Amino acid sequence: MNDLIIGMAGSGGDGIVSAGESLISALSVEGYFAILTKSFGSQIRGGESSCRLRVATSPVLNPGGTLDVAVVLNWEDFLRFGGELPVGDRTIVIYERKTKFTPDTVPLGGVHPAAILAVPFEEMAMKSAGALLAKNNVVLGLLAAWFGLPRTSILEGIRKKFAKKGEAVLAGNERAFAAGVEYALQNPIPAARVLAAARPPTGKVLLTDGNELCARAALFAGCKFFGGYPITPATEIMQHLQRDIWKHGGSLLQAEDEIAGAGAAVGASFAGVKAMTATSGPGFSLKAEMLGLASVTELPLVCVNVQRGGPSTGMPTKREQSDLFAAVFSAHGDTVRPVLAPISVADTFGITVEAFNIAEEYQTPVIVLSDQELAQRKEIVPPIDTTQFRVVERQKPAGDELTDYQRFRLTESGISPLSHPGMQGGNYLAAGIEHDESGAPTANGEIHARMNDKRLHKFAPLQDRRDLFFTEGEPDATIGLISWGSVAGIALEALRRVRAEGIEIKLLVPKLLYPIPEQIYREFFKTLTRCYVIEQSHQGQLHRLIRMWTDVPREFNVLAKSGANPISPDEIVDRIRAMCRPLSPGHRGNAARSDFTRIP
Amino acid sequence: MISPCENAGVKPAPLTSKDFRSDLKPIWCPGCGDFGVVTALYRALAAIGRPPHEIAFVSGIGCSSRIPGYTTAYGFNTVHGRALPIAQGIKMAKPGLLVLAAGGDGDGFSIGGGHVPHAIRRNPDITYIVMDNQVYGLTKGQVSPTSARGTKTPTSVYGSLEEPVNPLLYVLAYGCGFVAQGVPADMDGLTKMLEEAIRYPGFSFVNIQSPCVSFGDPENQAKVQKTKMQKLSDLGHDPTNRLRAMELAQQYGTALHTGVYYRNPNPPPTYDSLITQLQAEVSAPKA
Repeated sequence: MNDLIIGMAGSGGDGIVSAGESLISALSVEGYFAILTKSFGSQIRGGESSCRLRVATSPVLNPGGTLDVAVVLNWEDFLRFGGELPVGDRTIVIYERKTKFTPDTVPLGGVHPAAILAVPFEEMAMKSAGALLAKNNVVLGLLAAWFGLPRTSILEGIRKKFAKKGEAVLAGNERAFAAGVEYALQNPIPAARVLAAARPPTGKVLLTDGNELCARAALFAGCKFFGGYPITPATEIMQHLQRDIWKHGGSLLQAEDEIAGAGAAVGASFAGVKAMTATSGPGFSLKAEMLGLASVTELPLVCVNVQRGGPSTGMPTKREQSDLFAAVFSAHGDTVRPVLAPISVADTFGITVEAFNIAEEYQTPVIVLSDQELAQRKEIVPPIDTTQFRVVERQKPAGDELTDYQRFRLTESGISPLSHPGMQGGNYLAAGIEHDESGAPTANGEIHARMNDKRLHKFAPLQDRRDLFFTEGEPDATIGLISWGSVAGIALEALRRVRAEGIEIKLLVPKLLYPIPEQIYREFFKTLTRCYVIEQSHQGQLHRLIRMWTDVPREFNVLAKSGANPISPDEIVDRIRAMCRPLSPGHRGNAARSDFTRIP
Repeated sequence: MISPCENAGVKPAPLTSKDFRSDLKPIWCPGCGDFGVVTALYRALAAIGRPPHEIAFVSGIGCSSRIPGYTTAYGFNTVHGRALPIAQGIKMAKPGLLVLAAGGDGDGFSIGGGHVPHAIRRNPDITYIVMDNQVYGLTKGQVSPTSARGTKTPTSVYGSLEEPVNPLLYVLAYGCGFVAQGVPADMDGLTKMLEEAIRYPGFSFVNIQSPCVSFGDPENQAKVQKTKMQKLSDLGHDPTNRLRAMELAQQYGTALHTGVYYRNPNPPPTYDSLITQLQAEVSAPKA
């Protein structure tokens, strides 16, 4: 068994998430690859909480679909997560015995799992540690012994965690873990799938998440200013930067509102430093006016939008990819703002660096569309080799260019050298109002058209950014998949599975979502008769955006699903298989089961 | 960062008003109070003596917000109500710059009103100039946040139903360290006050009763101002007395006081100096 998915749910105080964190931390030491996804109700404290851990001996592409193991400390809490913790016929369900349900009556709505086991977690915690709080360590001992998880490393983690809490508490928790192990050894599960040993780690690995890597990347790229406002699920970017940006000679403003946060970043960029703001959907709506201002004044700015469920307040703690339209069409007026999206936790680093590069090179706001899943899931990733990334600086005027300086001079590339306060001879007026080459305000239609053209034309080189497109599969396949953001890792797993079955298929993953490089899509579409765009938004926003810009294959469909419940690789595999099988009359396939939206 | 001795050894010629006047022709109506404001500012900046390229001048939207373009400083005519956040970003990124912000009463006390208290409590070394004319002039005469109750305009045809904002009390209440009010009718007083505001180490606020000749109240034009204005110094006001300043500020809209209402005799550290200090502290190698 090389791949195991464990889901756990309980009440806030049950320590379920903390158990998940202990597990992934132990697995990272042992050389495993893993993703830990935490999910909470919208309560600040208490309420239901859950986590799912996918561990494998090779790199993990996504949190996976149906659970192999479900740990239920409380049925009410577990059921609240619905499709986030899906139980299927291969799942082993382990639940707290102290409940009204028996294995025959557990509320699983007609699903028949591989095994259902009632375990006296509470009783064992009380007996071994004298405290209900130790319940999560009983769970860990049990999981370790039943499914072959690294006992020594887990125990070491427990020791580290409780070292400061005193001898008695530490000993209690150690006993709780041992009790779990003991119970498992005395009650073996025949159906249990045991995790294979991992190859010992060759070096240090990172246990990190997208928000942390986004902040690290910003500092690597030379970001010297951050302006923002707390918002779920983007706040951690500001928190990480708050600790470190000062050490790099930069500064950070937790502003009075989202607009001021972005505004201060625009000001810092005008003053000559690399600047960033980060937010989620509701804040992104507010930042629109600053994005427009940065576009017309041609000032570099990186704006991260960690997407969550929308519209409006929506579902702050849940994944969704529904801000693509908002990013692409983010402010009024006739201009383009590049939109980038990372496809994995590790990729968040490179994409953030590239966002700064594009912002500085083209003197433009750049939007990074991360999402709750990538931003907040903990993942074991190899160390990031920063030598592979270039860091671009804005073009500044020098020498002759500073005599009779024209800030918005019409150049062949559309990019004009950008001065900043303090630079003698570079004085100019930046204005939201339309301006001529010198920066002087104008209402002249011809100048406006020329300036619009300059501001659009400068992005032409982005049409050739093949490095911002990931592709895999048979180049001349007739079936294609397109996916983006966190869903790309799901599509990629599905692609590899169906290719292993002999299906010829290819996948295109744009990390540059806008402007649309038409030629790259055209080449991908050339061999296709059928193509599916897979994404986590109800309308299928990328599917629609591509159609707006390019000719598409005859059958150009979408597998789109509203947020919160993850798309599972199984769902996509089923769809691809169905697509490749001639349909008998009346056959409805597996599609009837799925909750993908159907769009005409 | 700009060091004051960047050109050490070279003694530049003293700056004059002309060095701060740009070639752009103002869009303002003939007789507009803002002409007086920009002229007073040229003089104040010449007296301060920082070269134009070391000055960042930020504004919002409105007639008065066109002002940065009429100077030779680095200007940033931004969007409505957002001059202060953008000015603070500039000051935080480059604390060595002289940063000015300006706008009208709508810009500062209506659409951008939420930014003012936060700029004050952070206390960056920025001077904020509001050209207060009690009317939306650029959009041709609508009621503004400082219009008196009952003011009749195209958007308050039967008279405004609201009490005006009192800009002076507003900033005093939030703890602004330097608060003054001027009129273009008294150019010398206005120039001196702007210079003093810029020299104040911290956030300073100057409210300028800048008459709108096209849509403003006839009772608030230059001629009337000249007869109505009372210098705070003539009233024997002690500008270190904040409570007395607040009492006097209550007469905003009835009396026309000019001069410095309040100057904090013990200015607290500026935001920018705290930032520079923090940067040094956290980057210092641990002993």
